[in-house]
Amino acid sequence: MELFLMSLITGILVGGIYALVALGWVLIYKCSGVLNLAMGELTLIGAYVTLTFYQAGIPFILAVICTLLVGIVLGFVTERIFLDKLIGEPILAVIMVTVGLSFFFKGIVEFIWSTDTKVFDPPIFHIKPIELGFLKLSPVYLWSFMLAIVLLIIFVCFFKYTRWGLSMQATADDETAALSLGVSARFVYAAAWAIAFMSAGVGGALLGNINGINISIGYLGLLVLPAVVLGGLNSVPGAIVGGIIIGVLQNLSGAYLDQFFPGGVKEIVPFAFMAVFLLFKPYGLWGWERIERV
Amino acid sequence: MSSVWLPCGDYHQNYQEDQGWWQSTFIKMKMILLLLIVFVGIPILLPGYYLSVGTMVGYTAMGALGVQLLIGYTGLVTLGHAAFIAVGAYTSTLLVLQFPWPQFFTDLGLAYPISIVVAGFVAGIWSVLFGLPSAKVKGFYLILTTMAAQFITVDFLLTQYVSQIGGRGQAFSLPPGTIKIGPWVIDSDIKIYYLMAVLTTLIVITMANLLRSKPGRAWVAIRDNDIAAEALGINIIRYKLLAFFVAGFFAGIAGAFWVSNTAALSPEHFPWFWSLWLVGVILIGGVGSIHGAIFGSVFMVLVMEGLQWAVIPLSAYYPKLLFDFAYIKDSAFGLAICAFLIYEPNGLSYRWWQIKNYFNLWPFSY
Repeated sequence: MELFLMSLITGILVGGIYALVALGWVLIYKCSGVLNLAMGELTLIGAYVTLTFYQAGIPFILAVICTLLVGIVLGFVTERIFLDKLIGEPILAVIMVTVGLSFFFKGIVEFIWSTDTKVFDPPIFHIKPIELGFLKLSPVYLWSFMLAIVLLIIFVCFFKYTRWGLSMQATADDETAALSLGVSARFVYAAAWAIAFMSAGVGGALLGNINGINISIGYLGLLVLPAVVLGGLNSVPGAIVGGIIIGVLQNLSGAYLDQFFPGGVKEIVPFAFMAVFLLFKPYGLWGWERIERV
Repeated sequence: MSSVWLPCGDYHQNYQEDQGWWQSTFIKMKMILLLLIVFVGIPILLPGYYLSVGTMVGYTAMGALGVQLLIGYTGLVTLGHAAFIAVGAYTSTLLVLQFPWPQFFTDLGLAYPISIVVAGFVAGIWSVLFGLPSAKVKGFYLILTTMAAQFITVDFLLTQYVSQIGGRGQAFSLPPGTIKIGPWVIDSDIKIYYLMAVLTTLIVITMANLLRSKPGRAWVAIRDNDIAAEALGINIIRYKLLAFFVAGFFAGIAGAFWVSNTAALSPEHFPWFWSLWLVGVILIGGVGSIHGAIFGSVFMVLVMEGLQWAVIPLSAYYPKLLFDFAYIKDSAFGLAICAFLIYEPNGLSYRWWQIKNYFNLWPFSY
């Protein structure tokens, strides 16, 4: 029971970070219909950029804010150079461009920062676990979760209440109508990429605090795919719930299945679950079901 | 309507002629010339290093043809093809190493050829297993399922379990002399090259024949509009699974061939990168044609070799460059995919088609 609760709570806390990254994914999909397979590399870039700022002597929170700014710039540049030209192209072309981008980013990250595992030094959060009753939680998880939730709320509020957020929603809903009302679709696409870069970047920085930063952060970034499939591709609450469910599932399977199938179950379960889930409910929990006609 | 350009005054009078292999003497000569170059010219004229490059092209092409069948002809996007290649490679290796072959089988050198065929079937069935969701989902969701195939097969099952069989540790190695076809032990560049050439030719012929018969037409119909195809009475689930089976079969053969090339095997030979690489190959070569897959393989392998050639002299000045070559390769591959999709979405085979058309009517193009 204790093991169950421990894994459940750790899962929820890690899931918060996945939810943050998944939110960026869903925003891109909602606004521009791009299915982004480069999310893992965006998290990777975010993690390394934060680390670089932090090691230059900037406090962690400021380093995260600087990462957000870098994310905005990178998002706009990426959209303008690569994805702007692909509006209206077949879905495979767009997906493969994001795959190409993921290789490009990964190569560049490896080239600049090399592949060794790096840690935030001095550590940002205390190593000593916080004890809540019988539960022992590492503060890293707790603070990361809280920061992730704060950013999630900020992003959702931005999406719902600001002028730019509303124009993004309008474009997602009906591009032609939004254009006729004076919304710049190109700006909206770029903004969606900027937000994705920002959320993935912060997610990467937080994940990097947990296990150190290396290429495997990119793999953790790929876990958003099961999360968004679970929640439904175009649902913001779905992304959040999906991220948390994937985190919980991952930790529970690590705790319980590892003894039966030793080695790496934790990494595989989200994808195996996704493959089975797709068989039964391909549109996720809250996604729109597409009705096809000839 | 024939898909090839025919000389003036030469007409097809029935469907059989229209779908024929060699529709004019010129095409027949061209193909025989191509076969002569592949089987005689290259091995005689080029030294061992180029043969190993050629072998690499062939291995890439074998995988890419399966991907082409799925993506280019059936419209089922797969990002996990390396998993099926891995299944083929492991099946073949385990059969050769672990299976209690009767003495005369090994004497006659039948173990490896049989294992190639079995590897094809096992990989095909494994591929069908992960193709099952295609009955219900398509597009992006199918991409995710095939990605799951990659992670489940290579990173989990093969790394954690299959590699333990026989207690050899993580990597298998095949002792010299175990890979033997009939009287020939496959041990030199030229023999590997010939094995590659034979297998690739067989795969190309099989695929071309499938594509001009009923399954091929059904696949193209499914690619173009699956709902309309179903309305026309095509059992789309059966044909989609058949496409997965055939692609997996090719992948299995490619994997079994890879074993003879390296004489060693470990899960690192089949990373997710390789699945994406194969998709990149057909995108660059051109989606929806057999020669697209081949052009793509030739182009990608040659460009990467060329990059290597460029990097080695430069590394005298920047020693870090040689060490970082793998990363440069990643970036270059990513940029190449993006550039082709943005600026030349029809791939190299479209350029080939343009050149051919130009010369068909040359010098009076109007």
